[in-house]
Amino acid sequence: MRIGRYELTLEARPTRPALHTALTAFPAILLALALSSFLFLPAETGFLSAYRAVFSYAFANPYGLQATIHRAIFLWLCTFAFLVPMRAGLWNIGLPGQVYVGALAAFAVPYALRMSELSHPPFHPGLIILLMVVGASLAGAALAGFAGILRAKLHVNEILVTMMLNSILFWLVAYMIKEGGPFMSATGEGESFNLPPSLYAPLIRGVPFTALLALVAAGLLDFLFVKTTLGYRIRVFGLNPAAARYAGINPVAISLLVFLLGGAFAGLAGYHYFAAVPGVYKIPGNYGFYGDLAFYGIICGLIARGTALGAVPIALLFAGLSLGARFAQGQFHLPFGVDYALLGLLMMTFVASHFLYQFRIVWRPVATEEVPRVSAGIPER
Amino acid sequence: MWELLVRSLEASTIFLLAALGELLNQRSGILNVGLEGLMLFGGTLAFIAAQTTGSYGLGFLAGLAIGGLLGLAHGFFSITMRGDQVVSGMGLWILSFGLTTYIGNPYTGPLGMPRIPSIFGLSPFVYLAFALVVAVWLLLYHTGLGLAIRSVGENPAAAEASGINVAITRYLCVVLGGMLAGLSGATYTLSYNPVWNYNFLMGWGFVSLALVFFSMWNPWILLVGALLFGMTWQLSLSPELLLPGILSRYVWRAVPFATTIVILALISTPWFRTRWGLAKPEALGQPYAKE
Repeated sequence: MRIGRYELTLEARPTRPALHTALTAFPAILLALALSSFLFLPAETGFLSAYRAVFSYAFANPYGLQATIHRAIFLWLCTFAFLVPMRAGLWNIGLPGQVYVGALAAFAVPYALRMSELSHPPFHPGLIILLMVVGASLAGAALAGFAGILRAKLHVNEILVTMMLNSILFWLVAYMIKEGGPFMSATGEGESFNLPPSLYAPLIRGVPFTALLALVAAGLLDFLFVKTTLGYRIRVFGLNPAAARYAGINPVAISLLVFLLGGAFAGLAGYHYFAAVPGVYKIPGNYGFYGDLAFYGIICGLIARGTALGAVPIALLFAGLSLGARFAQGQFHLPFGVDYALLGLLMMTFVASHFLYQFRIVWRPVATEEVPRVSAGIPER
Repeated sequence: MWELLVRSLEASTIFLLAALGELLNQRSGILNVGLEGLMLFGGTLAFIAAQTTGSYGLGFLAGLAIGGLLGLAHGFFSITMRGDQVVSGMGLWILSFGLTTYIGNPYTGPLGMPRIPSIFGLSPFVYLAFALVVAVWLLLYHTGLGLAIRSVGENPAAAEASGINVAITRYLCVVLGGMLAGLSGATYTLSYNPVWNYNFLMGWGFVSLALVFFSMWNPWILLVGALLFGMTWQLSLSPELLLPGILSRYVWRAVPFATTIVILALISTPWFRTRWGLAKPEALGQPYAKE
């Protein structure tokens, strides 16, 4: 575009320094927060006090903080589930489905052991909990791996497959916990049976042990991507699949591997929210809400630009924001869905920042073409 | 049985309208994976507009307008900014999913307006969708503009060299495609199932997107696919009509999605791909920079 003597062009950035990455992520989050002021318009209170309510509930109130941490662990795991395939250029939007299947697998363990009929667990409860965790991860991995193998072997669009799997698993959970399904609670209220207290996940200073798993995983994932050959291969495959193939990287193995790994995290997230959060310990009737929440993992992974440790504070912030927004919604009589709207706004500002990140606007003077003077052959007077 | 057939045709209409729009997009080389988002927004605003004004016409206008606007936004990111079309599409979907849940929530419940009168027992949109199939086919294969659309989808550089404005052609397609997606959402909330609920589509848009892949980018095959899926969908909602007492109703609800995966896998086999690969617009999803 030309404005006067200057030309305005959009150029792809050759390099993307880490600082720049952080600098584009913050404005995106801040802008989304500023835009969410509109959501507080119907409130009878001012914007500032609304924001204060959101943040003080999420991070200063003891109940709120606890809920924020529980939700953050869930979002961390969901973020990793999205982020690993993303590094290989693949979209795992099947987070809800993998969360559901993880929850189903975790609850299948006590169901299979007929724990409700026994007064004492058949093995040491720790072993059963381990089985639940492993089962949830394997189930998530298997479900995502199915999409991965279809992608790798047949080039089936992974977005469509994972989205279809979300819907399939949504109905499968409904089948399992409602209307006489195998996992239905004895009272028949459209939710699953309660876990026996012996199977409650161990707490470390009041926080489920899954927090530790998630934080260690964050460090390991970044180590994997930055320091190992496998991580390098995943990144090369994500940046340029054709070049990766010429370099001898097996596309089938990479596509399958990233989905298996990602799915395992989402399955674990399912275990966490339904079997490890104090006060839940069942698959509730509104499980769909937790599936929707998993989509925050997509936006966290995108804003963190694929770094797992970078995603940790972002997911913590989003966990607090989504919870605080729900709280503010109740307190200020706002319409339902402030947390959903925030998700949408974050996505919008991310997409905008993404393009600023990839491109830069270059503003340079137009080189004026020297027009050679043509002598008409008439002597000037 | 007749009732089931009528409902199936109406369900097909929803798939068909959205998928026809996406087909136009993809023929011009633009992939919009956020189709479901456009439908959600179209459906929600159409519902709100119709309920507040009491006019179906304004409702459909709102649906068309927001669909076109979101299509335009996708066009801006993918044509002008030459960004990743998947990022922009997913962004539109999550944006719509989040915002419509918030905006539409106070309107949760039935529309509360007299039903749109049917013509010979069928919703007028069934006829409209069938007419649009013919129109899109005529446009793509029998007009100069159609040739331009197909050529910018195959080889934009060559199209540009032959005097076609790639950007304008693609913008035209994304806006038209967006309007059709908005219309599809509006048809859902105003005619097919006039009750607003959060995330009321639950996958209709993604199935429509899959239908475009099934159709090998041909409007007639798309019509057949939409009819089959409309039937499958309707059967999954009321399986007792054909197979009473077999499996829980929840399991049936998963059938259309499982069918989608099976067909997607089948059409991606090497045998099929040798034929399908030829039909796929060559420049689909690729940003184009004018030399």
